[in-house]
Amino acid sequence: MIWIEILSRHRDVTARFRIVDAEASIGRGYDNDVIVDDPYVAARHVRVFRDEGGQWIAEDTGSANGMFLDGGRARLARIVVDGRQPIRIGQTLLRIREAGHAVDPERLARPQWQVFPALLAAVLMLGILGVAAVSLWLGQTDEVRASTYLTPLLGISSLLLIWVGSWTLLSRIFSGRSRFLDNLLIALVGLLAFSLYGVLAQYAAYAWTWQAPVTYFYVFAWVLLAAAGFLHLRTVGRSRLWLKGGVVTVLLAAAIVVQMLQRSEAFSLSGRENTARLLLPPAFRAVPLQDETAFFGEIARLRAKLDADRSKARPGPAGG
Amino acid sequence: MRPAPARPAGGGRVTVWFAGAMRGLAWMLIIIVAAGAPAGAAPERTASAESIYAQAPPRLLQIRTLVAGAGRQASIGSGFLVSADGLAITNYHVVSQFALEPQNYRLEYAAADGSRGEASLLAVDLANDLAVVRIDKHDAPFFSFNAAAIEGGLPKGERLYSMGNPLDLGFSISEGTYNGPVEHSYNERIHFTGALNPGMSGGPTVTADDLVVGVNVSTQRGGQLVSFLVPARFAAALLQRVHDQASPPDLRAEVARQLVAWRGALYRSFEQEGFRASALGPYRAPEAKPGWFTCWGQTNAGDTPKPRASIDSTNCSSDTSLFVASDLNIGAIQINHSHVRTVDLNQFQLAAVLTRLSQPRLAVGGPYRKWYTPERCHEDFVSAAPPDGRPPLRVIWCARAYREFDGLYDVALTAVTQDDGSEALVSRFNLQAVGYDDAMALGRHFLEALQVVR
Repeated sequence: MIWIEILSRHRDVTARFRIVDAEASIGRGYDNDVIVDDPYVAARHVRVFRDEGGQWIAEDTGSANGMFLDGGRARLARIVVDGRQPIRIGQTLLRIREAGHAVDPERLARPQWQVFPALLAAVLMLGILGVAAVSLWLGQTDEVRASTYLTPLLGISSLLLIWVGSWTLLSRIFSGRSRFLDNLLIALVGLLAFSLYGVLAQYAAYAWTWQAPVTYFYVFAWVLLAAAGFLHLRTVGRSRLWLKGGVVTVLLAAAIVVQMLQRSEAFSLSGRENTARLLLPPAFRAVPLQDETAFFGEIARLRAKLDADRSKARPGPAGG
Repeated sequence: MRPAPARPAGGGRVTVWFAGAMRGLAWMLIIIVAAGAPAGAAPERTASAESIYAQAPPRLLQIRTLVAGAGRQASIGSGFLVSADGLAITNYHVVSQFALEPQNYRLEYAAADGSRGEASLLAVDLANDLAVVRIDKHDAPFFSFNAAAIEGGLPKGERLYSMGNPLDLGFSISEGTYNGPVEHSYNERIHFTGALNPGMSGGPTVTADDLVVGVNVSTQRGGQLVSFLVPARFAAALLQRVHDQASPPDLRAEVARQLVAWRGALYRSFEQEGFRASALGPYRAPEAKPGWFTCWGQTNAGDTPKPRASIDSTNCSSDTSLFVASDLNIGAIQINHSHVRTVDLNQFQLAAVLTRLSQPRLAVGGPYRKWYTPERCHEDFVSAAPPDGRPPLRVIWCARAYREFDGLYDVALTAVTQDDGSEALVSRFNLQAVGYDDAMALGRHFLEALQVVR
């Protein structure tokens, strides 16, 4: 006894026919054992039979479009059936398996609702909203209004929902499983890292008078986005990880370069760095006070840079 | 800073630019409507005004700056002859385009009798906004200077007559009063109560006996008949310089040289006078001593909704803005202090207010790409020496250089006191077109003068 299976493009079984006889025919015509509704398939396309050696053979019975192994380009007249590699006729994929075909051992079911990841997701979400709410509160210097808090928090939540929803949908389409919790955790961890980085950068800018983390916030944000994107892609399917990683890296590099270019163009138009000078309560200062003389020593050193800028920028004799 | 009810000096120049000519049309409409008023309302013309008007035209000029390529006027002003061999005085701002870009512009004069021709620029006085041109006219009548005015002995209230070609409408004369020199002004200017209109720049203002007291230069924006003249003695001095000089200098370099020299003198006199302390809450903040600073105060105490941090500020600015080019007015010196105290904000929220108030901003004098190099900043926590009574500070120093003027920089110094989480003083010190050493010396005095008394 054999089974003839018709597969979808994603190699899922869409139909399965039980063949008890020693021979079966496949084609578009109604006199076949297996009928395939594919205009590129002949009325009688393939004959499946057992040869003298006991092997199952698929044989092209004179079709115009021929018979191929899945992924192969060579037209084959006879194929020895191995039960693994699908056979393509027209635009249809077939798989032929004997009744004795070995299947994977039973997979142990995970509990339907996993407590730990769900709990982790809840904690991360609360963390993100908490950091956002506290930042809003500490920056609020006008009248207190509920909308000042609600609008950004709702914005963050909806954005997260749309992002995770999209990946869940992609995952569902391409791997058949939505993996909602995995996608949610990736997005939450990314978002939390983003908001914590913001807080730390602000602290560094004030406490250590170290502006670089604020200035290059955008680089970090793109890296984070790329990392999250790669992890989502990995969740959708683990095949061709190198290709996915490569595409994400190229996109990341392009995004950073474009933004750098934009910033340098904006700088050349205005002559001003687009960075805010941040202040925090005096208790957060982490470096010792600079002596006034030393400070003015730094200021004096700035002059050489300005003079270098001037000699670089001096216009030609054409003036203006 | 919101503009205060009456801003100090630095008024509008009275040259006609293109935009000025467009405004002129609107002004003309008003005059046409006014012509319908009863004739009895017209002021009585005095005998001396008539005699001055009769004698003036051959000695008055219109000075035009033409675009060399197009042959059309880019700006117009007035001028007047001061010697028999064709020397005439006008304003620097009337001829600035030609002085700075002689390859793109040329200079032309038009006389009242309809004659016109090339004018050559011999000398400029940037600080006093004067220029001397030579035209090809010989044995023409000319103006002489008033000796009493040169010595500063003219009585206030004296009748003066200002002449020029307002808005390219033809030569005209306007009557007004001498009010002596302008107070709180670094550059000496005469306060003239009379109408000066765009196009009259560079024209003479004379006494009833037809002797020049000053040169029309600017009006007060937002004022009524508040006009300014350059005292005649500066014109006489510049004329003397022309007589002494062998050949006209490279004017672009001369402008840069005069600018650097003038700013140097200005900042030296500022350093000599220095600062005086003014109290803002528990803080003592430096305010500029020289008389040519005007200070205004501001508070948010009466704002609605009730402010969550009280901000009391003082803002002192000098009137030392100088016309260098039509797109470059190198501006005033500014000192701004804001005392910020929390009403119901926590320390973080107060820091957010202070962040907003302390962003460094260099005052804009002209388009960045043409005149300036990129801004560079340095930021640190600083303790002024000796530390007793001096709060720790967060200081940001931002500076940029002028592309063409060696030794001139713009500097913005911002300091925020760090002694208390619930109140602070945000002090800003903006210096335009300053020598770097002058800026460092003044900046250091400024920081050392920031004190706290508790």
